[in-house]
Amino acid sequence: MKIKLELFGASKDLSDKDFLELKLSSNSSISDLRNEIINYVDKNFKGNKDFKKIIETSAFCSENNNIVSDSYKITKDQKIGIIPPIGGG
Amino acid sequence: MLHAKIIDLSKEKINLEKAESFISSSKFGASIVFYGTVREDNEEKKVTGITYDSHDELVIKSFKEIYDEADKKLNIKEKSVFIEHVKGYVGLGEISIIIAVACPHRSEAYDLSRYIIEEIKKRSPIWKKEHYKNKDSQWLKGNPINVNENN
Repeated sequence: MKIKLELFGASKDLSDKDFLELKLSSNSSISDLRNEIINYVDKNFKGNKDFKKIIETSAFCSENNNIVSDSYKITKDQKIGIIPPIGGG
Repeated sequence: MLHAKIIDLSKEKINLEKAESFISSSKFGASIVFYGTVREDNEEKKVTGITYDSHDELVIKSFKEIYDEADKKLNIKEKSVFIEHVKGYVGLGEISIIIAVACPHRSEAYDLSRYIIEEIKKRSPIWKKEHYKNKDSQWLKGNPINVNENN
């Protein structure tokens, strides 16, 4: 499956674009997606610890704008947003 | 009555007059217009500006939830609320957020205004990248979203 991972906040430092394109095997979960992003950091940023911490503490948002848990099953190609720790105002 | 919007600064400006006009009503005897601005110091660093990023749909959803919760948690039924938050680059002293509230009485207005800003800080997916006088910049550390609360 192809996942378009929309980047927000500190996760924008992972790419020059506002998104990452990742491949996951069918019947994957958010937990698998999180691991895939960590693999991406290992390959492209020499395992940068700050980036890994951001990914480990991020939530994820489904295509229909719901925050989803690590067990949420991704069943088709879709957009998913990564939601790093927040702090506006 | 609620107005909730993200202002993309590349397309439009944020302004206080719109907020005052929205909440103005003879039904209400107390109005508070809170606005947040970019300040020049943070953790001993000289700040020149902040770039704000947001997940627009989730932010608007959170504003609506916070507004609805005020009915139950604060028992404030009659109210008018205007919330706008910017997205993009904001210079020193410029406005990043406006929360305008109007209620029948002042105690409700103060409680509601404070409740809204504190909840936005905890729950709305908005991020800040600070820019410094020495040309460095960094995303500020925030608070992780509580996934269970949102499911």
